[in-house]
Amino acid sequence: MTNISAPLAVELDGIWKRFPGVIANAGATLRVKAGSVHAVLGENGAGKTTLMNVLAGVYQPDEGRVVLDGVEQRFARPADAIAAGVGMVHQEFRLIPTFTVSENVVLGSAPRVVTKSAIESSVGELAEKFGLDTEPSREVWQLSMGERQRVEILKALWRDARVLILDEPTAVLTPAEAEELGRITASMAADGRSIIFISHKLDEVTAFCDEATVLRGGATVAESLPVESLTAAGLAELMVGEATEVSQRRVRINPVSETLALEVTGLKVSDIHGRSVVDDVHISVAEGEIVGIAGVAGNGQRPLADAIAGLESAQAGTISVANTDISALAPSARSQAGLAYVPEDRIGVGLAPRMNVVENAMMRSYRSLSSGPFIDRQAAQSHAEELVDSYNVKVGQMHAPMAALSGGNLQRLLVGRELAAEPSVLLAAQPTRGLDVQGVAAIQRILLDQAENGVGILLISEDLEELFALSDLLLVMHEGAVVGEFDPDVATRAEVGAAMAGATHEAAN
Amino acid sequence: MFGIRLARRERRIPGGQTLAIALGLVIALILGALLLAFTGHSPVEVYAEMFDSALGSRRGWSATLTRAVPLGLAGLAVAVAGSMGMWNIGAEGQIIAGAIGAAWVARLGPDLPGFALIPLMLIGSVIGGGFLALGPAWARSRLGVNEIITTLMLNEVAIRIVRFLVNGPWKDPEGNNFPVAPELPDQAALPILFERAHIGIIIAAVVVIGFGIWSARSKWGYELRIAGSSAQAAEYVGISLRTKVFTVLLLSGAIAGLAGGIELTGNSARIVEGVANGFGFAGIIVAALALMRPSGVAAVAVAFGAVQIGGEAIQTTGVPPSISNVLQALILFGALTAAVFTEYRFVRPSRSNASVEVATA
Repeated sequence: MTNISAPLAVELDGIWKRFPGVIANAGATLRVKAGSVHAVLGENGAGKTTLMNVLAGVYQPDEGRVVLDGVEQRFARPADAIAAGVGMVHQEFRLIPTFTVSENVVLGSAPRVVTKSAIESSVGELAEKFGLDTEPSREVWQLSMGERQRVEILKALWRDARVLILDEPTAVLTPAEAEELGRITASMAADGRSIIFISHKLDEVTAFCDEATVLRGGATVAESLPVESLTAAGLAELMVGEATEVSQRRVRINPVSETLALEVTGLKVSDIHGRSVVDDVHISVAEGEIVGIAGVAGNGQRPLADAIAGLESAQAGTISVANTDISALAPSARSQAGLAYVPEDRIGVGLAPRMNVVENAMMRSYRSLSSGPFIDRQAAQSHAEELVDSYNVKVGQMHAPMAALSGGNLQRLLVGRELAAEPSVLLAAQPTRGLDVQGVAAIQRILLDQAENGVGILLISEDLEELFALSDLLLVMHEGAVVGEFDPDVATRAEVGAAMAGATHEAAN
Repeated sequence: MFGIRLARRERRIPGGQTLAIALGLVIALILGALLLAFTGHSPVEVYAEMFDSALGSRRGWSATLTRAVPLGLAGLAVAVAGSMGMWNIGAEGQIIAGAIGAAWVARLGPDLPGFALIPLMLIGSVIGGGFLALGPAWARSRLGVNEIITTLMLNEVAIRIVRFLVNGPWKDPEGNNFPVAPELPDQAALPILFERAHIGIIIAAVVVIGFGIWSARSKWGYELRIAGSSAQAAEYVGISLRTKVFTVLLLSGAIAGLAGGIELTGNSARIVEGVANGFGFAGIIVAALALMRPSGVAAVAVAFGAVQIGGEAIQTTGVPPSISNVLQALILFGALTAAVFTEYRFVRPSRSNASVEVATA
């Protein structure tokens, strides 16, 4: 497949990286030709970021070779990789807001004696050479996300990076900025540099990249495919794999109820930069129904959930729980109206990490557990014990801080607490992410039981298998909009995967 | 790749705070003994004198407890804000504002009987301290302006105001041209309990201990701790952060103001430039030693008071003030360092910590 005559700038060969309980890379391989833009694709958890961190010197591989321009390398720390010509632009930018563009660019590697104007003019020259539109004297806090990203790229070029890793570079960009980035990567490739472009989005990969490598489960499943050969369906299949046997596909006993538990109409949310992140979303969840929302991370799932729960304000749209309009209510009033919310961030949003089990267990009910201004400590204690018993939470000590509990136990307590008020709707965002097998099974069991009891469930997940197993109806979000609606009994993973990657499609039902 | 670093303990060691502070004190006293021996003083004699003058007699206890009053109230003021993750660095200025508020009441009603005048003066001090915290409270809750900067800068404003008052409109005509305000009327002095100890000790004890219980047991205190633990969690359960931030900073200023009022009516009897005497800044140390928990403030304030009183007393026996100050600083430094280890522990670099983040990323 690979053109034998083109020299390889990067060879990652049989990279293994194990963490306790997790194998992040299982013999992953990547070969990038000099002067090319190479896409690395894969689902969340496929091992892309770990592999890139190995190349950037952040991790040392357990096994495998890192070869740059034919020379085997051993990076003990990121500085070694930088010295060898590997630059990485992380998803979260690492810039000092109050410094100027040029100060950020040269930080840590400035010549010993410098004048401000000399640095600004040499940074300006460098920027011009690669068509990076920036003003070296502006302070970073004034810049848009696209401009900040160009500063990060300049930082790498200033250190003469021959290999530049861009970790999901377009996630924070507007479409116009993304196109601009495509021109920049092309000009860097023309200069003989190699760009590794991590992405989920097929259209970008075909537009900006020369070749693509696909990872799944920590291993390389397709190496250096020419992008012309890629199709949405083929790529989705490579990324998500053939449908494995679904362990506990839901048996639907009752026909779905006519009564709506949750109705969202025309919901629109914008982020602080005014970009639309949830775009005219309509969702109906009947009593006892589980509606799944699939999508690649960052396509509006989090603002959608936060807007329904009232933690983020919506620009337009209505939200009703059990036929009561809750759009104008505060988060706690929405909870009282029958909406339970298991947020994506268990620790920090759903639970307060430094407070103990009893204190966390009463977060929803402390107002009713009080007599006068004081909290009834006996009642709070027994409320917590009840939750711990009925949801099988393993706690050493009721007064131990939350942080001492494992992920599965945290989540059981959180879910149990949210369900204690007998809600009509459960909004669960990534409820099983990061849990071990038993933890996942326990939470899924709870969701199914609740649906059987008539609770309408909106399940946001990145785990397609989970969504196929639990959902009555599967929606796909892409760039803030619901772009697909599937019947999980009929649809294939490839169809859903293609919708997640942004391919246009015909709904399966 | 990484050196040894600190990690938060998953659970606190029971009684660990007391133990750690005691250990820190022992280490500090050993270092202090070396310093004293090196400068030609007998460590045994100096330490005996320190202990005697602070805790060895009724007189010593009266001085120590009297000193603990402003330290405890200032410490409580800082700890109340601190339990919500905010820093009130302006207790010094709020103490001055409280003293001015109290003195103003006394100027308005100099002929009121003591039982009316003293409570009114203390109310004046609460309002004065709260007034100085009003700006930072509003700016933080409405605009998100960092309260550290605003409270810190208002200290300077309060110092300038008191300087203006004692050099201008409030200057004592019979003060031999010293920049002091006239003495308060006699009935404005707090009644004495024993020796020099006044009933401000009881007022402060009720406020500090009562507030400790209140914040540990009430809905209000619970909401405060949620907000301090995670602002997002607080919004998630429907606690209004703005209101909380505003009331907490205002309350913090009011408590510091009360320290000024008690200090004025109990100890100094007249407004001078140095009416706050550094108690507001010492309050930050008190709060830190109490690990920002209002319930821990009272004990720390008494211990801190004893160190200050003992340190001042040895200066009369020929130990230079600089050595005495270094000794006090060593003791506090030792205790403060030790207190850190009740919440944190050393961990060796380990890969497993990094991996947790990766596995969930």
